[in-house]
Amino acid sequence: MLAVLPQLLVSGVATGMLYALIALSLTVGYRATTVVNFGHGDMVMAGAYAALVLVGWGLPYAPALLLALAGLFLLGAATQRALLQPILAGPHLSLAMMALAIGYAMRGAARMEWGSEVVTLPRPYEQDAFMLGTVVLTMDELVIAGVVLALLAALVVIINLTPVGRLIQAVFQSQRGAALVGLDVHSFHGAMWGAGAALGAAGGILLGLLVPLTPDIGVYTLIRGFAAMTLGGFGSPIGAVVGGVVLGVMEKLLGFYVSTVFIDITAYLVTILVLLIWPSGLFGRRAAVRV
Amino acid sequence: MTDAAPIANPTGKSGRSKPPAARQRRTLFWAVPLLLLPLPLFLDQYKQYVANLILVYVPVAVGFNIVIGNLGLLAFSNVAFFGIGAYASGVLALKLGWPWWTTILPAGLMGALAGCTASVPALRGVRLFYLAIMTLAFGELLRWVYIRWVPVTGGSFGMSVPQPSVLGWTLSTEGQKFYVFLVLAVLAVVLTDRILRSRFGRAFMAIKDNELAAAAMGIPTDRYILLAFAWSGFVVGIGGSMYAALVGHVTPVAFDLTELILEFAVVMVGGLGSLVGSVVGAAVITAAPEFFRGLPGAQELLFGVLIVLVILFLPRGLASLLARLHPIFVDRHYRD
Repeated sequence: MLAVLPQLLVSGVATGMLYALIALSLTVGYRATTVVNFGHGDMVMAGAYAALVLVGWGLPYAPALLLALAGLFLLGAATQRALLQPILAGPHLSLAMMALAIGYAMRGAARMEWGSEVVTLPRPYEQDAFMLGTVVLTMDELVIAGVVLALLAALVVIINLTPVGRLIQAVFQSQRGAALVGLDVHSFHGAMWGAGAALGAAGGILLGLLVPLTPDIGVYTLIRGFAAMTLGGFGSPIGAVVGGVVLGVMEKLLGFYVSTVFIDITAYLVTILVLLIWPSGLFGRRAAVRV
Repeated sequence: MTDAAPIANPTGKSGRSKPPAARQRRTLFWAVPLLLLPLPLFLDQYKQYVANLILVYVPVAVGFNIVIGNLGLLAFSNVAFFGIGAYASGVLALKLGWPWWTTILPAGLMGALAGCTASVPALRGVRLFYLAIMTLAFGELLRWVYIRWVPVTGGSFGMSVPQPSVLGWTLSTEGQKFYVFLVLAVLAVVLTDRILRSRFGRAFMAIKDNELAAAAMGIPTDRYILLAFAWSGFVVGIGGSMYAALVGHVTPVAFDLTELILEFAVVMVGGLGSLVGSVVGAAVITAAPEFFRGLPGAQELLFGVLIVLVILFLPRGLASLLARLHPIFVDRHYRD
């Protein structure tokens, strides 16, 4: 039984990287606006389909992917500015419903176009497998890990070393203060929501390498993104990444050593149990209030 | 101000008599179901089925509205209560051979039990998006149970529920089901109205406005939150058992996220926190999916856009339009 442990860990980390990217993209939008995007899964789905369409038009892979990400950035920013910003001062229920409804409309549009067919994203590289001792490592896993690590490094650099990073930090600390010193907080909200959508789209494209695309992959990713986020601590970027990787490994370990049912339900159980027992997660602040 | 007394009681009647607006409301309330009584004479089986579906969604929307509208908590567990009610009713009827009408109450009680379970995170202080995410996970977990617990639920294919019967009479036509459903829907609205007008309803309102202040004033907020969830689960569970009787086939697909959006649309379009709104929303929205049977995705697109438009331009839903038409429809259970 223990002989397969390294293999489980490696493939768990690879899947976990994908969850980490989804959770990270959720966190970016959440930290900027303090609104959780319940339609985020459908942004992920839209990213994968956008890449599919652009590749289908005969564009080379690299520009197609960049265009897909840019398109999702614009879509995210536009929906935030036009639909969420006007009600940002309103009740949380309206905000959650609005995000959910936007995602829902997108899913409907995707289903009208591709609902009855199974489509897959073509790989831009040869699928291959490598042996590291007894551990099998697929090209897909390497690509996912590489892309996620590259995006993570880019994010760390942007946040810590650029003027954009200082802007992000300023708005995080105090929206009112940032507005008072002349920063355009509204545009910032839109841009960060768009950035979250674009990061999510990157996750969707990577997911498209592993599973066939359906308009419903958003739900699957959203639940896992939420689980990773709660496990890592809501709103913490590091927490999102660590939570995603831990979730991926947990799914594989529980699924193999305990019962295969855990592959499906680990994400649900993690979400429920972490919020009940340990609301701050790994890196977050307390999520519950007692009256 | 010596002339204040006659103004306060201009009719000169005793203080116990009802003000005219309340009498009008009561007349209107009972007029609607009475006017609906001859409906089955005019509808064919299919149209009657759609009308029955609307009656199913009346308790479902009323129950959902209590938690998200009156109590103001972001809990997405309604589909879970609905599914549990439907499965409880179906399992009792199919596996144990109970006649349908005896499964209505157990279905409601199972829903109430699920409501108590779903209120645990809220009682532990989980609020806002955290509560939404948790209850979402709860509902999806239950749907997974429906799919995997094959000996009881029949798995992905679901189970066929025997023809519903009441006191030994089999309800073989949609028209017969209509009258039973009408009674149940009216009961759900009347009892919920009673609760919302009592101190329970006022406590819900206080919790919604400011939970901390409500607790500081001595309102046992935990108890009322538990009660709201339990009643919501009870009413929605009964809706679930009506659904099982109407459709005759209970499948896990009926309780997925699409269903959640449908129920959200009913409450939002009708009017958040409004009993009138729940009923109006059920009437307006429930029939819509029937028009999109052959067009996968069109319904999702339409509902998505519809909810967006309602939130932006009509945040109080159709009930607020009715309230502008006539003061009868002004909601007494809800303030902004």
